[in-house]
Order: sequence, then C-alpha cells, then structure tokens
Amino acid sequence: MKTINSIYIVDDDPITVFGIKKLLSNVIQCDGVESYGNGKLAIDAIKEVLSNQKSLPDIIFLDINMPIMDGWQFLEEFIQLSINEKVRVNIITSSIDPADLERWEHYRNNSKHLITYNNKPVKREKMQEITKAV
Amino acid sequence: MLSNHSNLVRNYNKVLKNPQLQTANYLVKQLPTATAFLSSKLEVVYASDHWIDYFNFDDRNVFGKKIFELFKDATQSWQKTLKDCLKGKESSTGIEHFVDLDQKDRWFEWTNIPWHDENENVIGVILQTEDVTRRVENETKLDRQQVLYNEKAKVAKIGSWYFDLAEQKLSWCEMTKKIHQVPDDYVPNIDTAIDFYKQGHSRNTIALALNKAISQGIPWNEKLQIVTTKGEERWVMAAGKPIYKNNQIVTIFGTLQDINDQVSAEIKTKESERLLRTLIDHLPLNVFIKDVNSKKILVNKAESDFLGFDHPRDLLGKDDFDLLPRKTAELSFEEDQKVMNSLKPILGKENTCEKHDGSITTFLTSKIPLIAIDGTAKGLVGISLDISNIKQKEEELRDLINVTSLQNKKLVNFAHIVSHNLRSHSANFSMLLDFLVNEKNVEEKENIVKMLIEASDNLLETLDNLNEVVAINTNTNLDKKPIVLNEMIHKVTQNLQAFLKTHNATILNNIDDNIVLPVIPAYLESILMNFITNAVKYKDPSREPIICLNALRTNGQTEVEITDNGLGIDMNKYGDKLFGMYKTFHNNKDARGIGLYITKNQIEAMNGKVMVCSEVGKGSTFKMYFNENN
Repeated sequence: MKTINSIYIVDDDPITVFGIKKLLSNVIQCDGVESYGNGKLAIDAIKEVLSNQKSLPDIIFLDINMPIMDGWQFLEEFIQLSINEKVRVNIITSSIDPADLERWEHYRNNSKHLITYNNKPVKREKMQEITKAV
Repeated sequence: MLSNHSNLVRNYNKVLKNPQLQTANYLVKQLPTATAFLSSKLEVVYASDHWIDYFNFDDRNVFGKKIFELFKDATQSWQKTLKDCLKGKESSTGIEHFVDLDQKDRWFEWTNIPWHDENENVIGVILQTEDVTRRVENETKLDRQQVLYNEKAKVAKIGSWYFDLAEQKLSWCEMTKKIHQVPDDYVPNIDTAIDFYKQGHSRNTIALALNKAISQGIPWNEKLQIVTTKGEERWVMAAGKPIYKNNQIVTIFGTLQDINDQVSAEIKTKESERLLRTLIDHLPLNVFIKDVNSKKILVNKAESDFLGFDHPRDLLGKDDFDLLPRKTAELSFEEDQKVMNSLKPILGKENTCEKHDGSITTFLTSKIPLIAIDGTAKGLVGISLDISNIKQKEEELRDLINVTSLQNKKLVNFAHIVSHNLRSHSANFSMLLDFLVNEKNVEEKENIVKMLIEASDNLLETLDNLNEVVAINTNTNLDKKPIVLNEMIHKVTQNLQAFLKTHNATILNNIDDNIVLPVIPAYLESILMNFITNAVKYKDPSREPIICLNALRTNGQTEVEITDNGLGIDMNKYGDKLFGMYKTFHNNKDARGIGLYITKNQIEAMNGKVMVCSEVGKGSTFKMYFNENN
C-alpha cells in the first residue's frame, strides 16, 4: 500500500479546514497537510510543484464555493495538467444542488484522477474511506 | 263632291229624257264623275267611263249585269239602301270596301239617288261613287294613334288635364281620373284638384306652381304626393305648362304620371342602401371593397377612421400605396392579386399593418374575391378585425408567464442558496460538536468552543443576509415614487464624503437634473451606495479612483451608467456569477459576496434590470435600466 505523503485542503472556510485536519489526524498519519484559501492558490502551488519536479499531493480536499477561483474552475485547470500519478480529489461540500452533482459526473468521467463527491459533515468512517491511496 | 246631287239628277233626267238613247248613253259615258244608272232590277243601264275604269270593269260586259253580281261583297246596309231607293227613299251614302287588281285595299263612298221618269215614277237608282281610300286610311291611322296614345297613357300611367282660364273649367282625362281613383263621371274643379295633393310640401308646391304658371307663365315639373279618394298615398310626376293665344295665357295644360311604384322602389332601395351602410359603418370591423387594381371602391367608417380620414368617400379610388408605407402596401397588394388570380379567399389571416406614423396594428384579415359572370375576379371584399388589444393581452400574458417563471427560478435558486448556506453551517456545528464530545484535551476543547462561537456568528450573519434578501423580494409592493436621480446621488455622495476623501476618489456626474426615476427611494439609495463603494473598494492600486455617472432616456426607458477605473472583472470567468450570493472575485478582506446580490434583487424588485461590462485592468461599467411605466 502506498503511503500518503502530501494532502492539500482547498477551502476558504477555516472551520472546515480545521475539521478536515482534525479528522485526518484521527485516521491517517501524514505530515504534509497544506491548506489553500481558494482554487487559484492551490493550482498555483501545484503548478510550482510540477515545475520544480517535487512531489504532488496524493489527496486533495476541494470545496466548491470559493472566491477568485471555485472548485470547478480549479478542476477544469487541474485535469489539463500533465500529471503521471493518479490523484484522489475529494469534493467536500454542503451543496445538494443537482447541477453540482452533474458537474461532478462530468469531471469524474473526463479525468484519470479519482474524484469523489462528499456532503458535509464528513464522518470518521467516511474520512477513512476517502483517504485510502489509489 | 256628291253634295249637289239633286241638281245632278235633274240634269241627268234632262239628258235621259232625250228619246235618242244613244245620245243619252254617250252623255253618261262622258260624265266627269263615277256614275252608274241602275234599272228597277238593279241592272246597270248606263255607266260613266270613270265608273267603269275605277272598278276595272272594262273587260267585262258591265251593262245589263246586276249590281250585286259586280259587287259580290256588298254590305247588307248598301244592299238595303239600294232597295229602299227603288221604293223612292231619298238619297243616302255609305262606304264600301273592295280589293283592286293590285290586291290593294280600297274604299269608295257611294251615293244612291232614286231615278225618276218624267212622271216622277221611280224607274231605277242613280249610283255615284267616290274613292275615299286615302280618307279612310287617314281616319284609321288617326284611330290607331288615338288607341296607341290611350294605351301608352295607360301603360306609362300618364294622365292629362287642362284648365280653361276664361271658364275656370278643369278637365281630366280618363287616366287622370284613374290615378285619382275617382269614377269616370267625376267632375273636377281647380280647388278639389289641389286638395288631392298631400297636405304640406306637395299641396304647397302645386298651389304655388299653378299660381306661377297662371300669373307668370312658368311651367312646372314636380315629384309630389297625392292622396286618392280611397285614401291611398301616391307619388306622381305633376307637370303643367301655359298655352298662349294672342299672347294671352288661355289654358294650362298638364300631365300627371303615376310614379308611385318607381318612387316606392327607389325609397325601398335607398332604405336598404342606408341599412347596409349603417350596418357596415357600425361594424367593429374594417370593411373594404377593392377593384382589380386594388383601388378601394367602398370602405366603411372603421376603415376610414383607421386610416385617418374624415369620411369613407375620401378613400375611394385610392390604393394601399397612397395610404400606407411601401412595404405594407406591397404585401397587401401581392395578397390581393393572389386572391383575385386564384379566386380562392384568404380567411382569418393574421397580418400586421404599419402606418406612416410607425404605429403597428394587428389584424385578422379575410379577403374574398368578387367573381363576375365571366368567371374572373372583378375585385375583392376585405374584412379586417383589429386584434391589437388581444395581441397585447397575449403579450402581457406571455410577459407575466416569463416574469413568473423567472421568479420561480429565482425562488428555486434562493432555496438552494438557503439550503446550501444553512447546511454548511449546520455541518460545521455537527462536526465541531462531534469533536468536542470526543476531545479529551482541555486546550483543544477550548479551541473547539471558540470555533463553535465563530460558526454561530457566521450563521447569524448568514441569516441576516438571507432575511434582507427575503425582505427585498417580498416588499415589492413598497410604494414607488418618482425620485430626481441627482438629488439621490447628492445625498449618497454626502454620506460617503469621508470615505471618498480618504481614498481620493472623484465622482464625475454628467446626469441631467431632469432625470426622474420611479423607484423605492431606500433601494435606490442602497444601490447607488453599493456601486459607488464597490468602485472605490476595488480600485486599481496604481491610480486614483474616478467614478463617472451618466443617464440616458430612450423610448420610455432610462439607462443609468456607473463607470469606474478600478480593477475590472474577468467577465469570461465570473460573468455568470457576478451577481450571485457569496461570490467574491478579489482578494479583498471585506468582500462578503452579498452586496451585488442584494443590489440586483433591489433593482429587479423595482422592475429594473442590471447589466455589467468590464475589463481587467481598465474598470467596470454597471448599467441599470428602469422603465417609466413598469
């Protein structure tokens, strides 16, 4: 089993970031947890990692509604990047809008990465499931 | 002439008493009149050449022949008078008919006188004849003309009359009496004759006309009404003219024609025409009849009103090219020709008609070809129903449906926003409480409680925001008032004076003082405040903020423009989210993502519209549109 070395949390809500970090600490041992306030900051970080040939995150927790660049715009750019590894992207949202589910379907089917859709709040069992390596 | 026959007989006797019979015969032969002497047996004894020639007897042996052998068709009355004559009865005359050699009808008048001997004994009859063919023919002709005249008078119902001024005597012909429905023995006089005319116009007119004819010699010809003895009212053509003798009016001669049937028919026709006219003029439809060249030959009041004419007759002879813009006229003309060429009517077709003033009317038009006896169309009847009102109602209904579905969409959208926001907060609560329950570390517990308080504050703020949005959308019945835009701008800039000064912001107001908007004042204030503060908040750090205000009034709509030179927004990325709730687009700490959402709701609550165009690095322009009448 592949160990999880790096996790990105992309969310503008500090409480959610705190919550995810706390849940993570209970289910997984990972020192490399980074958080980004919006999609733009996250995608810039990933692009920099790629250009420096450093290691990419294994798991990305992604919020949808964010300023500057939202979750969908982030995904749009992310799936275009040439990344060899398969990355797990866990969408964490309180949205139950069917339109959002449709968009998730769209990205899931058009990407080699593993993209999951999770409604808040995320329980411990769920967190265990979505932090498994792919 | 035969008038002198007694003298003649005396002369004959003298001659015939002559013992020389040959001489007597010779003398009679040469008589200048057609004369024959008949014996007591009515045999021809002597005859003049004239007599024999006249009847073409020369080929036969006339002498010694009985007279009725010569005149086989002799009438009974002639036969009787000849026999009477033998008995000594004095002369009598009569007319006989015979057919001559050329098969022509001839008439002769005979005169029979007894032929006495010297002892005054009747020894025969002296017969004289005279050709009266021409006279008889003339008389027949006259008779025929009289008959013809009577017949004509009867058919044309023309009676005549004359009034003898000297004797003050009025005479009516048979027909005149018939028209008055009086018996044939009726004796009219001038006063009763005038009394036959209907009281009022007719009687006054005839009395005056008669008076003028007698005193000034003026003839008349008037259409008047009489009342017959049977009490029937009749239209008559009464004419009269004076007859002069030695420069003096002696008689007034006149005719009276019964024209009741014609006038009644005329009145009836006029009545039905008026009925038809009244009907088509008061139909709530435009009715028109066009000839083969699409020129109008009949239009009703509705059509002339529609085309802006005072009277339907002003439109006659005009075509659509004279009345309507070229494009409309061409379409109508093509349609006319199609109907007349195909002979197929167009029924209930929806048409729009644009007039010169630009107004557009929607019609439901039918065009029906008028087919002549030869099977070709000689024109068409058009009927147009103005359905603009219905059309407008339809449009309003459609607008209402659009507004409703838009509102419905907004509601669904709002429901999602509420659900999303409340869910995200409740998820945080749930998560944090879960942590708190399971946390052993006191320090961490405190940390979690702090976060719970923060989450609670966030929830309250969200609820406040949602409340505000609900209020805007439910208080649409707040009274709108006409507000002078510049007064409101002045108020807002006064309130923002310190804020604008701090940021060195300049406001360039180009709005005319006349611009008035029908708005809810509090909303307009909030909207202006929001746009102006946004323009300053999202200023470009490299330049001082300048805000330009403009307004433009067009077609019952006022456009208000607010242009800044700030950061600008990437419309490709954010265009569809700009006015969304909790959407922020800049790294601005104050941004809550609620301002533009509320602004948009406020504008729409006042039936306005908002649009934006923007370019990153140059600035943004927000445009609001307000209708003058909702």
